[in-house]
Amino acid sequence: MFDIMKSTFGVMRMNMIDIENVSFAYSGKVEALKNVSLCVRKGEWVTILGHNGSGKSTLAKLIVGLLKPQTGTIRVDGVELSERTVYDIRKKVGIVFQNPDNQFVGVTVRDDIAFGLENLQIPREEMVERIERYAKRVDMYSYLNKEPQALSGGQKQRVAIAGILAMRTEAIIFDEATSMLDPDGRKRILSYMRKLRDEGVTVVTITHDMREAVQSDRIVVLKDGEVLKADKSENVLKDKETLEQSNLELLLPLEVLHGLEKKKSTNEELKEFLWQLSLNG
Amino acid sequence: MAIKFERVSFQYRGVDDKGYLALADINLSIAAQGEFITLIGETGSGKSTLAQHMNALLAPTEGRVHIFGVKLTSDKKKNRKQRLNPIRQRVGLVFQFPEYQLFEETVLKDIIFGPKNFGVPHEEALERAKKMIQIVGLDESYLERSPFNLSGGEKKRVSIAGILAMEPEILILDEPTSGLDPMGRNALLKVFYDIHEKLGKTVMIITHDMDTVYEYAKRVLVLREGALVYDGEPPGLFSRKHVEDWNLELPEILRIQRALEERFGIRLEKNPTSRKELIEALGEVVM
Amino acid sequence: MNRIVIGRYIPGNSFLYRMDPRTKLIAMILLMVGVFLIQSFLHMFVALALVTLILVFGRLSVKRVYLGLRPLVFLLMFTFLFQVLFNRQGELLYSLALHYTILNLSLAFMVVLLWGFTKRFIRFRLLYFLGAVVGIFALLHSISFGVVLGEGTFAVYEQGLSTAFFIMVRLIIIITLSTILTITTKPTDLNLGLESILRPLRVLRINAEEIAMIIAISLRYIPTLLEEANKIMLAQASRGVDFQEGKLKDKVIQVVSLLVPMFIISFQRSDDLANAMEARSFVPGQERTRLHILCWSKLDTVALACTSLALAGVVLLRVVGW
Repeated sequence: MFDIMKSTFGVMRMNMIDIENVSFAYSGKVEALKNVSLCVRKGEWVTILGHNGSGKSTLAKLIVGLLKPQTGTIRVDGVELSERTVYDIRKKVGIVFQNPDNQFVGVTVRDDIAFGLENLQIPREEMVERIERYAKRVDMYSYLNKEPQALSGGQKQRVAIAGILAMRTEAIIFDEATSMLDPDGRKRILSYMRKLRDEGVTVVTITHDMREAVQSDRIVVLKDGEVLKADKSENVLKDKETLEQSNLELLLPLEVLHGLEKKKSTNEELKEFLWQLSLNG
Repeated sequence: MAIKFERVSFQYRGVDDKGYLALADINLSIAAQGEFITLIGETGSGKSTLAQHMNALLAPTEGRVHIFGVKLTSDKKKNRKQRLNPIRQRVGLVFQFPEYQLFEETVLKDIIFGPKNFGVPHEEALERAKKMIQIVGLDESYLERSPFNLSGGEKKRVSIAGILAMEPEILILDEPTSGLDPMGRNALLKVFYDIHEKLGKTVMIITHDMDTVYEYAKRVLVLREGALVYDGEPPGLFSRKHVEDWNLELPEILRIQRALEERFGIRLEKNPTSRKELIEALGEVVM
Repeated sequence: MNRIVIGRYIPGNSFLYRMDPRTKLIAMILLMVGVFLIQSFLHMFVALALVTLILVFGRLSVKRVYLGLRPLVFLLMFTFLFQVLFNRQGELLYSLALHYTILNLSLAFMVVLLWGFTKRFIRFRLLYFLGAVVGIFALLHSISFGVVLGEGTFAVYEQGLSTAFFIMVRLIIIITLSTILTITTKPTDLNLGLESILRPLRVLRINAEEIAMIIAISLRYIPTLLEEANKIMLAQASRGVDFQEGKLKDKVIQVVSLLVPMFIISFQRSDDLANAMEARSFVPGQERTRLHILCWSKLDTVALACTSLALAGVVLLRVVGW
């Protein structure tokens, strides 16, 4: 009885994002995505991992309807993406893009966070309150009056995150959001990703950086527009063959671990330690 | 010494007279041959400013910079009297973002742009372009393509080829592997190392990546708030004191080596400086 | 760079800073129209005095504004000379016979060359220039032997002189009025004011919100573009482009090597920015709430009333014929 109820609930609990048999090609070019299917459950942190040119950024734009797939369907929170529904879907999924300068619209930090709220027609008093709250969340409160040229790349990305948090979307996609940042900036953004997931926000990270993938719940590996593997992150991170097929490298502790396993080592303590080392990179 | 910095400081003049000191009292010598240097420091520590002094794009506001015999000081008039342009051929500087540099109709034209500006005859420039495009890992068919239709990694390689084609004596690269996937990164680093080993040129890489520093560099320069706080060999940089004081990230190889030593007492005879060496060394000791 | 006062916002504290940008815009236009309607010298000087009073009460540094006019000195000088030389009405005040001979023309030419090569060593450039001009006139007047190519007169007429002064003062007032506007109003506030004023034009299918957003985004990117231009120049200089020297052919290449990357970066940016804006639920044409709102106050009503009266007064004076 209990099992029936559990499986029923499992089915009823909707995925945040459903991508079914999606193919996409930029005009006149080779297919960027070939018959890709994947899903992201609510509250999950999924990393889409792939080499440069594997089609991962295209995926981000497809999910929020900036691009239209040639075949297949995309569903966000159960609703199929179409010309009619795209505006509602954008209220549920926010994207932080790669280039900190090319998504910063406002003349000041405050204005930039306000941009999305103005679009959503949030009343002014509430706007003011949300701006202050979410600026504090990303530690940019003291920078509210600063202009973008006075900010570092990492700070600009934090402002972008605040802007999306203020819009209270249910999911956030980080489309190579750390690739143009220095190590400190990258670590900060990573810590926000973790916090968000812990707070129940669905997080999707798109990257070729293994260190970003390490803390997520599930990983989808893309190669040349196709899904190579989609599994719990631990299983993917240790899969040397799949990763190398996609021009990716194993994290070094896991490379060592792989070497030990090949030599049939039975030192479980050491192996577990190496796994922990990879998580704490 | 090809490049010599004597008590060099550089003050940026900001808007409304709000300047800041980008470089403070730098003393440094770089040989014309045989060095493989990495320059590290946090964003804003002055790395780009330092690099731009090395090919005479900037002149110090205090102190003296000597580059292949040309002397630059804070005296603007005297600086202007010297011929600075030829220095830029001898000290090649590749900027971080290729978008700032690519502008020609074809990759070929863009690569020969640099050499031709320095008087290299057209035929020879073409030959160099063909050579360099392959050295950076792209095949000749790329030469006829437009540089704007390339992926980020490809653009990066084309911009590097453009500077290599100038055949500089000293090569400075600002974050050449940022944004590249791991395979791309490794391939490119190998190219730079080959240039250093086989052609004997001095190569300086500005980077944030400690793994690059540990695995490739023979000499590390560390900038903190405009001051040169370390100038020596990589292993010495990662002593516990420095790591603590300067909040340095450990290179992966070293991090694992030390963690294993601390927790399991595993000691390695030779300090490995590459992934392969580490795995081999560990394989022996652990079994 | 610090001296370019025209077009730059300088923070301050006075009634001018507290005024709504709409008031300042409208007031400036009304006053400028008034200045163009003024016909007599006396009225013009009254206008100048009033503008100075605005500066003083507005706690704006008169010195700063004056310094801001310096770059335009040549424009003012040109206007002045143009009137003096070509306006031949009224009484003849002064005339100087000028002879154009091969000898004095060549000497005059040498004076020009001498000025050109030595001017960088002289401190008081303007005076040096004027001195050279006077010297040339002196030459053309006094040396009259040799092969004579032509004759002319340098004549100053009463109307010429007075019109010259008149126009010059008018120009100064106009420039000062617009400087007052830009010194006391942040570009973003100016943009908001403009948007508000243009809103009624919706009947003519002109979308004020769109225009204002275009201006706002442009303002946001100006510093970024300047930084990028600098970086591009450095990158190209590293490939042998010498931005200081070069014949015309080289200059063309220099400009192309700077502009092409700028355009490409801007196109990429437009694409990225459009995606980012849409992803944040921006829908062109749709209503948006606003964080920044403009507040009209008593000060604004008073200011607008005063400037309207001033304009009305000028119109009246002109109609009555004073």
